[in-house]
Amino acid sequence: MATAELTAWTAPCTLLSRREVGPDAIIMELALPEPMTDVAPGVFAMLSPADGSGPEIPRPFSLYDLPAPDRATFLVQIMGRGTQALAAVPPGQEVLCTMPLGNGFTLPAPERPVVIVAGGVGCAPFLHYLRLRLQQGAGARTHMIYGAREASRLYDYQAFAALDGIDLRAATDDGSLGFHGNVIAALDAGLANGTLPRDADFLACGPAGLLHGFADYARKQNLQAWLSLETYMGCGFGVCNACPVATEPEGPLGAWPWARTCCEGPVFPLTSIQF
Amino acid sequence: MLQTRVGALELASPLLTASGTFGHDPAALRFLKTEDLGALVLKTVTPEPRHGNPAPRMAEFTGGVLNAIGLENKGLAYWRDHVAPDLAALTVPVVANAGGHSVSDYVAMTEAFDAMAGVAAIELNLSCPNVADGIQFSTEVAALKEVVAACRKVTPKPLWVKLSPNVASIVPFAKAAESAGADALTVCNTLIGLLVDWKTQKPMIANGTGGMSGPAVKPLALRMVWDSARAVSIPVVASGGASTAADVLEFVVAGATAVQIGTASFRRPDAISAIALELRELLTENSTSLEELRASLRWPHPVSC
Repeated sequence: MATAELTAWTAPCTLLSRREVGPDAIIMELALPEPMTDVAPGVFAMLSPADGSGPEIPRPFSLYDLPAPDRATFLVQIMGRGTQALAAVPPGQEVLCTMPLGNGFTLPAPERPVVIVAGGVGCAPFLHYLRLRLQQGAGARTHMIYGAREASRLYDYQAFAALDGIDLRAATDDGSLGFHGNVIAALDAGLANGTLPRDADFLACGPAGLLHGFADYARKQNLQAWLSLETYMGCGFGVCNACPVATEPEGPLGAWPWARTCCEGPVFPLTSIQF
Repeated sequence: MLQTRVGALELASPLLTASGTFGHDPAALRFLKTEDLGALVLKTVTPEPRHGNPAPRMAEFTGGVLNAIGLENKGLAYWRDHVAPDLAALTVPVVANAGGHSVSDYVAMTEAFDAMAGVAAIELNLSCPNVADGIQFSTEVAALKEVVAACRKVTPKPLWVKLSPNVASIVPFAKAAESAGADALTVCNTLIGLLVDWKTQKPMIANGTGGMSGPAVKPLALRMVWDSARAVSIPVVASGGASTAADVLEFVVAGATAVQIGTASFRRPDAISAIALELRELLTENSTSLEELRASLRWPHPVSC
């Protein structure tokens, strides 16, 4: 996996724009102090209001997109104190940003199919990923199931739908768009009817329930899978040990019972963790 | 302008990392300018590996953070082989932090750190509130004195004793550490606290209780620094909620020689450099110095109640 940790920087970044992409989510666009190139999809940033108005602990967000080398966007679901404080930052003011952090996804060879399973704000690591797959010329072998409770919570769905050549499938619990059911049921249906390949890299990100469901399913089906975990983090850069995930004793991280989600993750091969 | 001396140790700045908030190794130094950091105080190492507590290990409250990591570390042998060799080449002095279960554990840690060229000073963590058997050393004067005296015998390196705030008065502990041979005191460790989720009727962190840190504990730490700095003649290194240059100067006025920055580094890993910049500006604007401000607190006349 691609390690971003050693190149990480921290700086106040001007909030260029903020737009709503659902009933409880926004996309924040930051001006970066220097251009970022060659950044792995799935790496993350720790963000907090630069004026200190947020909690003592910043919040982790996947890098969503790079509209320009010196501009980054983040998909923020407004859930609690930290995200409320961020959402209250007006454009023109600064957001404290530390990034790129963690290990992102490694793209397989263009011939290798990829199946992405994302729930709600868990779509965040994948827009950049999909752009890179298209650059590889691998769009036809890239499938994404994007699910949510209802269509309005398929945040920024149009941005994914606009990626020509990707097989994008919506799944909603209430049936308001696409498959009527959750993403695991949609995945199961796609594998059963042969519209999704079984011999592929399976990548998942979303709420804990989705990830647990996905991990159980992937193990049962013997799929080659990776998870991007969302864990409470203190620092995001490896010093506080507050984001432990249990390692699989027989796996590549098994020498120690815990991995730090921020440094060894947030993207883990399913075989490396007990989840 | 920021040069500071803690006992025999010459520091480029009065700003230090606080143990447990900047890692077990120097990796996070990349976020700081070396001239801003006085010393790199690393996370507690214990003789044997410790797996630490289950998750969640940290939760927030207004103005602070509660943590119970449980001293997760890979143990002395790993640290000696994988971390210590890289420390000697650093330009910033390293303060290694020792934890343990017993007097002999602390002595073994102190001997081991003493033998490492890259360790400039040794800080004893006698007060981590999260490991049940560590609490006696920091809250019983005789136990504290015994362990400090035993460690003193095995090293000529600067020996710092990190005191617990979880006592009725810190003064007997400060005096005991000094009389047992400590070169400096770190005042203070985290304050034991509890956060509750009323919906689940469970504590917010898996350990139940945890150590409070962050801006909310600053008044308590200031009182502890003020009390201990008057009680002893060895330097007092403050630790407790400082996140701005003004906070740092408040601790200096209360008697601190240097100030550790802890929880503030979680919000921004370059917090120490940001504070150093602000500190130079404040000292210049006010035509004053750390020496002039140190222990300059003018106490009001006693008020009868």
